[in-house]
Amino acid sequence: MKRRVSTLLAGLLALMAAASVVTASAAQAQALDRILKDKKVRITAEVTSPPFGFIGADGQPDGLEIAAARQIAKDLGVDLDLVQVPATGRIPALLAGRADIAISSLSITLDRAKTIAFADPHGALTIVITAPADVSIKSIADLAGKKIGITRATLEEATVPKLAPSGTQFAYFNDIDATIQALLSGQVDAAGMSGFAAKSIADRNPGKHLESKFTVTTAYYAAAVKPGDWDLLRWLDTWVFIHRQDGFLAGIYKKYTGLDLPDLPSF
Amino acid sequence: MAYTFQFGVVADNFPALLQGAAETVELSAAAMAGGLAVGVLGALARNVGPRPAAIAVRAYVEIIRNTPFLVQLFIVYFSLPAIGLRLSANGAAVLGMALYAGAYITEILRGGIGAVPRGEVEAARALGLTKLQVFGLVVLPQALRIAYPALSSQFILLMLASSVVSTISAEELTAVTNTLQSTTFRAFEFYFAATALYLLMALGFRAVLDGIRRLAFGRAVT
Repeated sequence: MKRRVSTLLAGLLALMAAASVVTASAAQAQALDRILKDKKVRITAEVTSPPFGFIGADGQPDGLEIAAARQIAKDLGVDLDLVQVPATGRIPALLAGRADIAISSLSITLDRAKTIAFADPHGALTIVITAPADVSIKSIADLAGKKIGITRATLEEATVPKLAPSGTQFAYFNDIDATIQALLSGQVDAAGMSGFAAKSIADRNPGKHLESKFTVTTAYYAAAVKPGDWDLLRWLDTWVFIHRQDGFLAGIYKKYTGLDLPDLPSF
Repeated sequence: MAYTFQFGVVADNFPALLQGAAETVELSAAAMAGGLAVGVLGALARNVGPRPAAIAVRAYVEIIRNTPFLVQLFIVYFSLPAIGLRLSANGAAVLGMALYAGAYITEILRGGIGAVPRGEVEAARALGLTKLQVFGLVVLPQALRIAYPALSSQFILLMLASSVVSTISAEELTAVTNTLQSTTFRAFEFYFAATALYLLMALGFRAVLDGIRRLAFGRAVT
């Protein structure tokens, strides 16, 4: 018994040591200088939510946000290191120092802004409720009594459950693939997701007669950095300003979504 | 920028974490019972069943033990609705975990059965017991006793593997932790808390399983 207690204590000590390493490693050089010196920028890549990020036919990450990440590295004049993360791993990867910039369709929210620092938005998306044609949903009130699939750590998770009437059931999945599978297999009656994702699923599964029932909200997404990396943040704001003017952002938005880029506000 | 730990938010959400832990205990206990039942039936079919049954059990054990648990779970949850069997997330989780554990338990029991002295089986047969009686009254009780340590660590592993069922929206501890960290963005704090809870649950399960061992087999056996 005594030995077991000491083993436990050793485990706890190891945990605390790990925690203090997280704290210590944060005191480092200015982010932008470090990136330029290392000739490498580490940017998150979430490859399970088309059109923002997906694995292309050549097996390489591709998509709207991947194109933005490539352009950032090109404009910085450094190599790009794509850090592949699931949707739930975007902010932890940034905070743990595994990535310099998170740029995986991160919608700007006040809650998120408490732990990470957002640059100016470089795109916008809508959140819709999508379901087969024979499911009768016209407005948010009709969600009562239905089972709605939602992906964790997304804007739909932050908005739909708050707006839905009581009596709505939710099933939470770790990535959009699982949410889509749940919708296609009938495990959920409807699902909340971006308008692009809903359109692309409906196009690829014509037999399911999926349709977007209504728009829950419109949101702007932006790149984000760790709080304190203000030099890098300023550079990203400048990057957005330049590429709003020269049409690059509108160009990739049109290419990957088929839609015109909405007007983007700034902070 | 130093990362500042803020455990206050964990304290605020502690009831939700406990709820998740309770769900983990429930799902695991149900899957352990189911897995043990599957394992005993598997061992029975293998030892006294007809040859096709023994072959079927062997195929089941090989398939389950040589494919990823996550994929098995996806098949139960996402593919069974295609043939008209729509299980709830918790139902699919328990079924998936029981089928998964059942294969390992079948193998563990096979080891235990192999260790029962051959002479006892022959003696029981000589006394006029049927094959089924020999299995149920002579072989299985001894096999369970011999295999108990391996069985109880399999149960703990099953409890830890239950974290995977969060992927099919079962609301157990890992699912609750993921939801909380993704809404509060306090990932480290919540993962530390979940780690501590899993450790406590594993120690708790071990204590309960040790208690069952003492009740069932007495102190002498280790």
